[in-house]
Amino acid sequence: MLFDLSQPGRRAARLPASDVPHVELNELLPAEARAETPPPLPELAEPDVIRHFTNLSTLNMSVDTHFYPLGSCTMKYNPKRNERMANLPGLLDLHPYQHEQSLQGLLELLYELQRYLGEISGLPAVSLQPAAGAHGELAALMVAAAYYRDLGEQRTKVLTPDSAHGTNPASARMAGFDTVTIRSTPAGYVCLDDLRAKLDEQVAVLMITNPNTLGLFDRQIAEIADLVHERGGLVYLDGANMNAILGIARPGDFGADMMHYNPHKTFSGPHGGGGPGAGPICVTEKLDPFLPAPVVGRRDDDYFLDYDRPRSIGRVRTFFGNVGVLVRAYCYIRTYGPDGLRAVSENAVLNANYLLSRVKHFLPVPQGDRCMHEFVASAEHLKKEKGLKQPAMDLAKRLLDYGFHAPTVYFPLTVHDAVMVEPTETESKQTLDAFAETLFRVTGEAGEVLAEAPHSTLVSRPDEVRAARQTVLRWTAEQPAS
Amino acid sequence: MAYLFNTPEDQRAMLEAIGVSSIAELFEVIPAALRLNRPLNIPPALSELELSQHVQRLATRNSPAGQSVCFLGGGSYDHFIPAVVDAVASRGEFYTSYTPYQPEVSQGNLQAMFEYQTLICQLTGLDVSNASLYDGGSAAVEAVLMALSVTRRSGKVVVPASVHPEYRQAIATYLANLDAELVTVGTPHGRVRLEEIEAAVDDQTACVLIQQPNFFGCLEPLAEVGQIAHRAGALLVAAVDPISLGLLKRPGDQGADIVVAEGQALGTPLQFGGPYLGIMACREEFVRRLPGRIAGQTVDRRGRRCWVLTLQTREQHIRRDKATSNICTNQGLFALRAAVYLAAMGPAGLRETAELCLRKAHYAAEQICRDERYSLAHGGPFFKEFVVRDGQGRVEELLADARQAGFHAGVPLGPWYPELQDCFLVAVTEKRSKSEIDALAGCLAGSPSDCTTVYA
Repeated sequence: MLFDLSQPGRRAARLPASDVPHVELNELLPAEARAETPPPLPELAEPDVIRHFTNLSTLNMSVDTHFYPLGSCTMKYNPKRNERMANLPGLLDLHPYQHEQSLQGLLELLYELQRYLGEISGLPAVSLQPAAGAHGELAALMVAAAYYRDLGEQRTKVLTPDSAHGTNPASARMAGFDTVTIRSTPAGYVCLDDLRAKLDEQVAVLMITNPNTLGLFDRQIAEIADLVHERGGLVYLDGANMNAILGIARPGDFGADMMHYNPHKTFSGPHGGGGPGAGPICVTEKLDPFLPAPVVGRRDDDYFLDYDRPRSIGRVRTFFGNVGVLVRAYCYIRTYGPDGLRAVSENAVLNANYLLSRVKHFLPVPQGDRCMHEFVASAEHLKKEKGLKQPAMDLAKRLLDYGFHAPTVYFPLTVHDAVMVEPTETESKQTLDAFAETLFRVTGEAGEVLAEAPHSTLVSRPDEVRAARQTVLRWTAEQPAS
Repeated sequence: MAYLFNTPEDQRAMLEAIGVSSIAELFEVIPAALRLNRPLNIPPALSELELSQHVQRLATRNSPAGQSVCFLGGGSYDHFIPAVVDAVASRGEFYTSYTPYQPEVSQGNLQAMFEYQTLICQLTGLDVSNASLYDGGSAAVEAVLMALSVTRRSGKVVVPASVHPEYRQAIATYLANLDAELVTVGTPHGRVRLEEIEAAVDDQTACVLIQQPNFFGCLEPLAEVGQIAHRAGALLVAAVDPISLGLLKRPGDQGADIVVAEGQALGTPLQFGGPYLGIMACREEFVRRLPGRIAGQTVDRRGRRCWVLTLQTREQHIRRDKATSNICTNQGLFALRAAVYLAAMGPAGLRETAELCLRKAHYAAEQICRDERYSLAHGGPFFKEFVVRDGQGRVEELLADARQAGFHAGVPLGPWYPELQDCFLVAVTEKRSKSEIDALAGCLAGSPSDCTTVYA
């Protein structure tokens, strides 16, 4: 622990002496505002800090070190060239309140990115402001709420399929809507009868993920959109799975009115151990006036921040957006181009189908033989076969022993003991073969080997119940060292 | 295709194994009418070298801090970042991993999160911190929503005008669809007046949100506002500048129930406003209402100390529409940067940083106001920012001239505060030297010869 290393008087960073004329502190700051001592932070030398965190880093699996087929998270390789570009001082050291005239290069980049995202989605109006996918969902739902307020309509409901990401209903709630769940058919698609039964004039938005969380493209999408539109509702597309359809199909062409991107997934922003992401949203022209302000505008050869949007929902955060992530997305799109982006999706889908074809013989995939960029297998049969309580979790844990990050498990909720695999396009056939062979081997292992896995990691099966019941959420000096 | 893995032979073998004849066949599930039958209208692919040249050209059309001297603040600051921060954060094992859903292979991230949480508790004087939110503004929003939930009051949220205008705008955006009302208390003197807070707070008030130091850089009577809030059964939410806590009393020691902060100052580059770091900490009793990821300590099946994501029943992937927030992806990398920054600074380094900011800001205020054209808009103590009033009221012109001379001299306040049309906000960090400050003062005073000394 960082705190165990602390020794009074040690320090890493050194600062220059003050070069302005000396004034007594009391004259600058009233005594009652001042703390007697600085905060009780640990005191460390620079090598302590570096060794500590470098050693910690080696305890992680990451895309740079391992195959990371975490379904729904699109853990593709993060090109180093994009890191270099985003770290150029001319982009990195820009203050959010600099004058537009001192930002023309960045604003051009962001303006172009708005245009690319609009073109790729088929939804031309773009806000780059939201900070993550869930934040984009929420911003778009606020846009919908503002749109209906403007129309003078009172709509209170948001529909989400039962296979949706948890963020969909949570975002709907935060935007002030009640959520209504739509059933899926056994084949994994939206149940149209259930949708018809639940659609009424109170419905503001249907949130749908397509390809959906089972990795399936719902062919009914145009019909679904028509049904929603007939009742005056809007269709929101959760863009989490855009990696499957870049340059192949566009949400705006299949009926979506609004969507978000996850540039940290689709356009390879590194995931940073949990973030940052970004969550730009794209909408139809009729919803454009309600987008968060500012957006980047262009007047002849000048780029500017357009705050003059009187019907805008306002801001959903401080400053412009997660620009660092957006710069990487821009670089990604520029290095792939139209053919390259299409090839990204083609190979993502090829890789997923190939892996599916290898895995389905020993790990059933209930929703069929084909998929888009990911598939969801079920480990349910191993329950009985091996006497396991949580077979998908056990498989996941055992894969760690073999040097693979685990797939997403127990999501979506509509598949029993779900194992959700998303290989992405940045893996080779050789890696996919090795993974499939390992997964096959693991499904043949004894129940007790699986139930106690992983065996080779530093820790195994942390007690999560204890963590939640006897909460220890920070280090304290009294703690016994171990 | 230069950046893809599958060779034509791989593709053939894979298609055969799948049992299809072409990749196109895999996409037949998408109805033909819904497919795009033309190439995307975006520019053709660039090689890495071409990309570098292109982006460098764009970058040269910006004036970053370091090229221009940056006196801009308003929630984003040009603070010094020790090299250790970049060294740690650029490790692929940190920046190319994701949310630690598999704790056995994420102990590095989880322990770093736990240490970050601890450091934030030490810094703020509160009991519990989450593992990060998006930024200071959205953290302020989440704190307000949390206060509404904790107090079960859906009436009012009281926020003085001295809180960052963009925080207030974000709160207004969120509350537009909910029941609660945002009550803004004017601060014509640059800080709150207790009697006005007292008058605004009632038994339907969920919280009072105060920024310390406030948006104008001035110190607020935090403890006294807290007493007013608490007497009415409302919470005190404090938005703080983490660097100021090297000198100022900790908000947790002054009665704050929830503390939020823009954590950018702790080792994150400016990058035009994001990604930054939303800091959020609270008292122990509210932990189950805290939004976002939290790392907790536990033991594994062999009894070894380790860390996991905990209290997940608060979160969207479990509770869906009943979750405390919709947040999923957070700002893990910047929480890590903040942890490394605080570890590298330690108490002495943070104290010195805060003291340098304080001293240099006061020196800058004095130097700028030596010209009788300028005065400070607000009296009373301030930390590293202050509001300058231009007696000639030509703020835009003035800032444009300064820009020509190589200074990002300040943030004009007119767009947010019509009554401060003739004012701009100046921030001075530890990075600004006396010669830079003197040059800025000379430049503002209209003696261009002084401007050149900055590069001497």
